[in-house]
Amino acid sequence: MNTFPFLTPILISALATFLVRALPYYASFLDRLPRFLSKSLRLLPIAALGPLIFPGVILDFQEHWYAGLIGILCAAFIAYRKNSIIIPILLSILVTYLLLL
Amino acid sequence: MKPETLHRLTFKQGCQEGFPIFVGYFPTAMAFGLVCRDLGMRIWEAVLFSVTNFAGSGQFLAANLIGGGALLAELFISVLLVNLRYSFMGAELNRNLEKGIRGWRKALLAHGTTDEVFSVAVLHRGPISKEYLAGLELTAYSGWVSGTAVGFLVGMILPPALQLAVGVTLYAMFSSLLAQEFHQKGFMVLAIVGVSATLNSFLILQCSLAIGWSFVISMLAASFFGALTTSDSEEVL
Repeated sequence: MNTFPFLTPILISALATFLVRALPYYASFLDRLPRFLSKSLRLLPIAALGPLIFPGVILDFQEHWYAGLIGILCAAFIAYRKNSIIIPILLSILVTYLLLL
Repeated sequence: MKPETLHRLTFKQGCQEGFPIFVGYFPTAMAFGLVCRDLGMRIWEAVLFSVTNFAGSGQFLAANLIGGGALLAELFISVLLVNLRYSFMGAELNRNLEKGIRGWRKALLAHGTTDEVFSVAVLHRGPISKEYLAGLELTAYSGWVSGTAVGFLVGMILPPALQLAVGVTLYAMFSSLLAQEFHQKGFMVLAIVGVSATLNSFLILQCSLAIGWSFVISMLAASFFGALTTSDSEEVL
């Protein structure tokens, strides 16, 4: 177990992902959920973005807490203007790198 | 609109339509490879991660939780929830898929469902053939898996100062996704994210709750908030 500490979490995550993917192919109750519930479920990916960013982006850089924050603001700005993911990411790495120097 | 009922969608057509997804996935997967390397994984573990999960934000979340030392139960539930959208996409895809696909073929096609694959596949009006979907998914999949390996290898030659800055990758990806969602769907997105971000920060910093549970609670609370405050006529999704 301890030789490969990542193996179990990786496979647990894979199992969770596969379950939600396979479910609709074998069960059809998803089409008949109450309206409020299905609406909430569809909003989950958006709601997930908040906790995926905060407070991690501030805590990870400790005394340079602003470095990541300014980095992601640049990324968000570019991503809003252009429909791209990789350019904003590269830019935010550059900005954060310069702020950490 | 092409007269698609006249011919069956082919494997080759799937690969061609999958190519733009390949191009989009490759750099994102590179970022994931870098993150895995940061966490201290070996290259085969990073590749195995992408091979078995094949889920953009789900994988980043899982890596984040693993790095934070989350319990396996927290990991399982968080990943399940963040990937729950695949159930709805799968339900829609399954309705359009040609009949008579069973067993391991069906399981493999289900494993290939992603946001991008879904949005390309459902553009076709007629029944989606298994060959077409296999081509589409395989092309996207190869971009994701190979990108992970390349990202991991690139990480080995990065200077240490740059490696710390690379830690922002994950957050930059989520904030870019957020900006695009905001662009498409308006201020409702910011309100929902504001609620979940504030709640999560509060639970972690003030209540010292474990990150996995805090994530689950804030995400659920914010989506209920969103469902309550948006009217049904608003086409948020």
